[in-house]
Amino acid sequence: MTVDSVDSAYLERAQQGRFDWGWLEQTRSEWGVRARPSKVGLTLRDIAVGSYGDVPDHPPRRTMAPRGSEVDPDVPDMGYTINEKSEVWADNLLDLYEEAVSRQWSATRDIPWGELPELDPDLEHAMCQLSTVLSEVEMVASDFPAKWVWRINHDFVEAKMFLCTQVMDEARHTEVFRKRALANGGGLGKAKAVVERFLKLILDADSYDEGSALMHLLGEGIVLSLFRAGELIAPSPVEKKIFRLCMQDEARHVAYGTMHLRYRLERDPSLAEDYHGYLDKGEEIIGMLFSTPEVVEPTTLLLAGSRKAAEDLGLAGADLLRGRVIAEYLQRCEYAGLPRRGRLKLPSQMLTGLDAQVPA
Amino acid sequence: MTDETTFPSPAWFDQMVADTGARPDLYRRLGFADFRLVLKVLDDGRARSYGLSFDGYDVSFEGELDDLDAFGADATLEGDLDSWQEMIRNILRNGRADSAHTLNALTIAETPLKVSSPDPLGRDKFFRYAETLQTLFDSLGHQLMVS
Repeated sequence: MTVDSVDSAYLERAQQGRFDWGWLEQTRSEWGVRARPSKVGLTLRDIAVGSYGDVPDHPPRRTMAPRGSEVDPDVPDMGYTINEKSEVWADNLLDLYEEAVSRQWSATRDIPWGELPELDPDLEHAMCQLSTVLSEVEMVASDFPAKWVWRINHDFVEAKMFLCTQVMDEARHTEVFRKRALANGGGLGKAKAVVERFLKLILDADSYDEGSALMHLLGEGIVLSLFRAGELIAPSPVEKKIFRLCMQDEARHVAYGTMHLRYRLERDPSLAEDYHGYLDKGEEIIGMLFSTPEVVEPTTLLLAGSRKAAEDLGLAGADLLRGRVIAEYLQRCEYAGLPRRGRLKLPSQMLTGLDAQVPA
Repeated sequence: MTDETTFPSPAWFDQMVADTGARPDLYRRLGFADFRLVLKVLDDGRARSYGLSFDGYDVSFEGELDDLDAFGADATLEGDLDSWQEMIRNILRNGRADSAHTLNALTIAETPLKVSSPDPLGRDKFFRYAETLQTLFDSLGHQLMVS
């Protein structure tokens, strides 16, 4: 602020207590709207009352002014590039934000690290490798929303707020798996290029549409299934709790991704082919992930309990997990209005048994 | 004290649900939920369904359900009586579900228990509230240990 920009005359009047209260009474926002708290407190849905609850499809401005406030005509343009509601909105957004805030947890406080048992070295290696992969992949789900959130018009503030919870959730996942890798004497394992290439695809997405489809729907759907598998094969109650808590967060993100895509396609069905194109590119990660030794072998070893038992098990565990990943992913796509069953390109042996779960 | 032999009686459900009142700080810390879950028990060719509703920090047993449509379940957790009782026995024996008997472990292969829902969002709620659900079911073991 320069000296010239200071209204000296105003300061002089104010110093003498001669305030102009006119602005107070003439503010053209809505007076008399009273939001009532619901059972769990005052939620975003509770305050979506009167005109404050109206989210414009195409905001008239690109400013940080709170939606519903009276805005100076000469506010600067913030340069937002996402100015269409359907680009980021979902019908469950307000509830997911509140749920995210309510269900935050701490990787430091809420995990009973002191109860980690000494593991057989093979199992410790496997757990550390799985933790390495998860610590690696989770941060992209912070990086991606963080990259886009400032570009989103402030009238969609609830979407921005939800994405901020995701940034925190995923930072915590990166944290908790890094901590697990280091907490029991094993340390970090291998980071594979195949995984990094998929993460880059998300991070380099040309649009929020593309990145959200790849991340919220595809990537996080896969990781949700990995967390479920992790909870099953966890070598102790400590890891079980880690996986359950992460599962909760991840399922919220997937719920957003599914409902966001549905909202988007309901308003512009012509975008379906674009989305198909994004997912055509991304889905090969399913095949690659489930043929990467650093993913398949630790999960198999943890499931079986020993090298010998894992060798006997072969790919049975990985096949089951992959089947769940694909079936649940296709069901979400279908629900979102983007049936993918006929377009999924994976080796035929990876699609065996799918027809029973997801009709073509 | 109820055990697997009293499942699925109202007393069994009431005792489980009472844990949310006995340890409110624990459930509050886990966060609120919005979930209507049906527990379906298959026994001797007959299916009986029971409702649990999670509303904020409260969990209520809604009784045996005659009209499933009216209940409006987000998801259904289904299994035969033996599998349910085995899970409960395991929780009571260990104080909490062991590795093979958590709700997630029992449902991931869709056997012996299975989660189904009218849409993927309903099923995903089962995962969104996983820790609350497991804490609730494990509370049977906790109650036994402190009694």
